[in-house]
Amino acid sequence: MPLLCPPFLSRAATILVAMQAIAAAAPSSSGEAGSKTDLAALLRVQADVQKLLPRVRPALVAIHAGGGTASGVIISPDGLLLTAAHVPGAPGKEMRVIFEDGSVTTAKSLGLDKTTDAALAQLKKRTKPWPYVSLSREIIKAQPGEWCFALGHPGGFDKARGPVLRVGKIIKQTANSLHTDCVLMGGDSGGPLFNFSGEVIGIHSQIWEGRDQNVHVSMAPFLRSWDEMQKSRVIKVWGIGAGGYLGVATVMNDALELEVVDVLESSPAKKAGVQAGDVILSVNGEAMTDQQQFSATVRARAAGDVLKIGLRNGSKDRELSVKLAQKPLEE
Amino acid sequence: MTKEKIRMTKDFPKPTDKRMRPACHADAHRLVRFGQFSVLFLLVTFSASADSPRATLPPEQRTNGSQTLASLSSLEPLTLPCSARIESILGRAICTATIVGTDGYILTKASEVPELEKVRARLADGRTASLREVHRDVKIDLVLAQAVGITGLKAVSFDPSKGLTLGQWLCSTGDTGREPRLGIVSARRRKIPGAGAALGIRMDDKASKVARGVRIIGIASESPAEAAGLREGDVLIKIAGKVVDQFRRVHELVNTRQPGEVIEVHYLRKNKEETCRVRLASRTKVLQNWEGEDFANGGISLRSDNFPEVLQHDIPLYPTDMGGPVATLEGRVVGINIARADRVTTFALPTEAFWTETQKHIQADRHPPKAVPVE
Repeated sequence: MPLLCPPFLSRAATILVAMQAIAAAAPSSSGEAGSKTDLAALLRVQADVQKLLPRVRPALVAIHAGGGTASGVIISPDGLLLTAAHVPGAPGKEMRVIFEDGSVTTAKSLGLDKTTDAALAQLKKRTKPWPYVSLSREIIKAQPGEWCFALGHPGGFDKARGPVLRVGKIIKQTANSLHTDCVLMGGDSGGPLFNFSGEVIGIHSQIWEGRDQNVHVSMAPFLRSWDEMQKSRVIKVWGIGAGGYLGVATVMNDALELEVVDVLESSPAKKAGVQAGDVILSVNGEAMTDQQQFSATVRARAAGDVLKIGLRNGSKDRELSVKLAQKPLEE
Repeated sequence: MTKEKIRMTKDFPKPTDKRMRPACHADAHRLVRFGQFSVLFLLVTFSASADSPRATLPPEQRTNGSQTLASLSSLEPLTLPCSARIESILGRAICTATIVGTDGYILTKASEVPELEKVRARLADGRTASLREVHRDVKIDLVLAQAVGITGLKAVSFDPSKGLTLGQWLCSTGDTGREPRLGIVSARRRKIPGAGAALGIRMDDKASKVARGVRIIGIASESPAEAAGLREGDVLIKIAGKVVDQFRRVHELVNTRQPGEVIEVHYLRKNKEETCRVRLASRTKVLQNWEGEDFANGGISLRSDNFPEVLQHDIPLYPTDMGGPVATLEGRVVGINIARADRVTTFALPTEAFWTETQKHIQADRHPPKAVPVE
């Protein structure tokens, strides 16, 4: 199986570190991808999309599961399917899968990551290989300003209409997601977002009201939790196997500070003396300003690493040393 | 762990919805079909702070941002000067028109302007004019009109639309003809079947005890009925001049009409007879929006179905942008926007659907048969 990828589990930390480096350098580098487009450049985008479409389109499917309709994409010849976790909702669910020509088969959901909305499913076995596309392993390449395109079945499968294409740009990359201006709606859930190499870089997941607010699960949670998901496990804690584990839940409080709301039992944080109500100021001297930055910073370290965490409670500042552990499978 | 999420699955309408009970009759019996095809989606509210340190593409560099749109400047003469804003007398935007004759002929979306005398055109140069109806084609939802007393306009000449391919760029006008917008051909060219018109009411299937009539037991959000001021508990007694004493009769009278048509409704409220005028909408629109959920984030056109052939594109537009011209980046004007259908879908009528006819009507209007002089 080409996509069994233990190497990625060990590389995940590297990916996150690299992502941070890019984020810091972004103001200077983003001008390149997003600088003035001219008509010729737009026409090149069109030519690229149209060249890739015949190749990637057969791997798109519509999914009927639990009374709703959604989308998915096949990523191996033996029928592994990526979709959004909220489509099957649980492992072992039977789903009806419909191809563009109207032909129907079934799939069973494998594992899913409820924290990032990533899910894996397996199509019914057949001797002939399934049409498939590759997924991108270069997560950091999906940077703001890059062109991308989305396929899906918004509103449900419609044979006369066929799949619906959207072309747009990446607006933002976060630890687990991509935001684009490829406009999505209900029924697109689980469908693929492609880069201009024809590789899957995202799975449609969420929308907000604004038309530029379309969120796709990036390949990061898939690559990070691949083995777990293949074993039909449900991941309820952010990012199993993705580096160090601290064991705190945080919120941005009213003062826009990163505040600890819960410290999990027997976690490294608990042992080190982190308490609910503490405000996290820094990690290893780096100021912490939001949750994603904090998560990424922690996850970038391996289990066993020691972090110095700057905390404030009331008017009292203190610093604690925490030895990171391996994340428990489920809690 | 770091996100507070509110998850919800969007189903329209919810399977548990009372409207699904066979005992009562929505004026939209296709509810069941939509029930089967509820659609999965996840909505999330983030608690993360707004100013993430991660790079975010500035709005001007996005697909419909000012810098990207600047690359369309050579194409703007094809669309922007040939568009006009159709507004109410008070200046509220209603829809967009495409100018098709230098002497004031325009095309716009018919169902948005049932009474042209109640609207006016505001041209790209700022001039305003009242409109005279020349020809209304209900089948394709297009009306040809003339801006009275206006000359010297720039008119669109429509080109054949055959050969457009999935993924091909298209540009059009947003903000009622005042700004360029970019998108692609996003799905197959096809016929959009009609699901009929609807009031947006749920009716009691039992005969009203109060009087001969049909009692309203539910009103859809933002529906024609709601807009006309109808309320739960009102008893319908006459529709378009015909007596109604059964919900089936209401169905018949409403469903055979076109979205956009205005019908007169007589009803009883607190035993007093009242009258209102209801402007019908597509059944599809009423159903999608029954719960007041805006699936387009900006609204759906009153009529969004029943077209013999449309092009589908993903240009981010609003219902008020319908009636504007659609061009390729090669500079061919290939159609006219006819319906905003949902968050990802706009339909445009291809040139072939209307242009030959339109030119004939303009010719006939410019050169009416001469009256024979009486000797």
